Amino acid sequence: MSDLLKGNYKLAQPVTDVQAAPTLEEKFEKEALKRLGGSIAFVSKRKVIWDDESDKPKDKTGG
Amino acid sequence: MGETLANELLARLPQLTQDRIGTLALENARANAPHFSHGQSIKALRGAPIGKGDSAVVIAAGPSLHRKPYAKRIKETGYEGAIVTTDSGLVYCLRNGIVPDLVVTIDPHARRIVRWFGDPELNEHHLAADDYFKRQDMDQAFADELAYNREVLALIDEYGSRIRIALSTVSSREVVERVIGAGMQVYWWNPMLDDMQDVPEGGTAELLALNGFPCINACGNVGAACWMMAGEVLQKQHVALVGMDMSYYDGTPYRNTQYYDVAVKIFGEDGLDDFFIRTYNPHVQAWFFSDPAYYWYRTALLEMAGEVDFSTYNCTEGGVLFGDPIQFIPFDDFLAAQAPRR
Repeated sequence: MSDLLKGNYKLAQPVTDVQAAPTLEEKFEKEALKRLGGSIAFVSKRKVIWDDESDKPKDKTGG
Repeated sequence: MGETLANELLARLPQLTQDRIGTLALENARANAPHFSHGQSIKALRGAPIGKGDSAVVIAAGPSLHRKPYAKRIKETGYEGAIVTTDSGLVYCLRNGIVPDLVVTIDPHARRIVRWFGDPELNEHHLAADDYFKRQDMDQAFADELAYNREVLALIDEYGSRIRIALSTVSSREVVERVIGAGMQVYWWNPMLDDMQDVPEGGTAELLALNGFPCINACGNVGAACWMMAGEVLQKQHVALVGMDMSYYDGTPYRNTQYYDVAVKIFGEDGLDDFFIRTYNPHVQAWFFSDPAYYWYRTALLEMAGEVDFSTYNCTEGGVLFGDPIQFIPFDDFLAAQAPRR
């Protein structure tokens, strides 16, 4: 059906895919949600990176 | 329990945390650079002979701190291992006659964290703008906040020079100036902001390039950061946790929980049952409830307890932090095993 409809007519105005701007409510919720975050990041499987090269993590099994 | 909403929020916690602190943390670290010559790197404490023996007790400031006589038991048994506490646990320690071996602070929030050290600038205007402390299920002395603040200021000024503090480079100007002003012994460190391997030009790499201090995985919160410091920096083999509830006692009014005001704004009073996560603790046969952030901390610490080379004992005697490989035991049992014989 969509193939049949496609190109059967020409639009007077070009159509662009415009994302709807966030509503005031969405903005409010986004700001509020930020405040639900933790104190600091959690980085899975990492412990300490000392300042010398040998302590830098090589893979996810190292610290 | 509101499985869907709580689980959805849990999955979003890493990004919500990044949204909350990412930019602020880096701004603070850059602004703190002139202070880095004051004190030394946390590396100076790596394996340092702090506290006798190979054990440490981490004192966090969960609701159990004012329900269980942890300090009394530490003193009665003559425990001589290391005592590590959170910024929020410092006043509890000092009031109970314990000068901790190390205090840890981390959260980059400007006005709230400095309160744990006494805020020289606190006034009625600040209190009116933020009822964070007044609402919570913790020290009742906070009810009269200005008087309490004066008491904390005096206490920290008195003991400051005897206190070692692991001071996060992302701490706020207010905290840094207060800590230095009180004469504390400063040990700088960077909290990991992301995985440097996955994000080679991310926040952790920027902190390391900025100051060269060690980067430590704080696992989401200051209590877990204390635990990591005890095991990985002080290199203690047996680390006990007290006051590490990561939850509230069943029956605590929602209003007395940390994220209440935000949760109400987003989900409404009627949606709060779905916001919180209820957990049954079989060790103490009681129910507790957590907000998603604290449940995320629990998950993170449980995961990391399986990664480290030291043993973890949760001696909180309540809360939701239990499960392999953490040993959930009474505090008296840990102290009996670690305290010197008399």
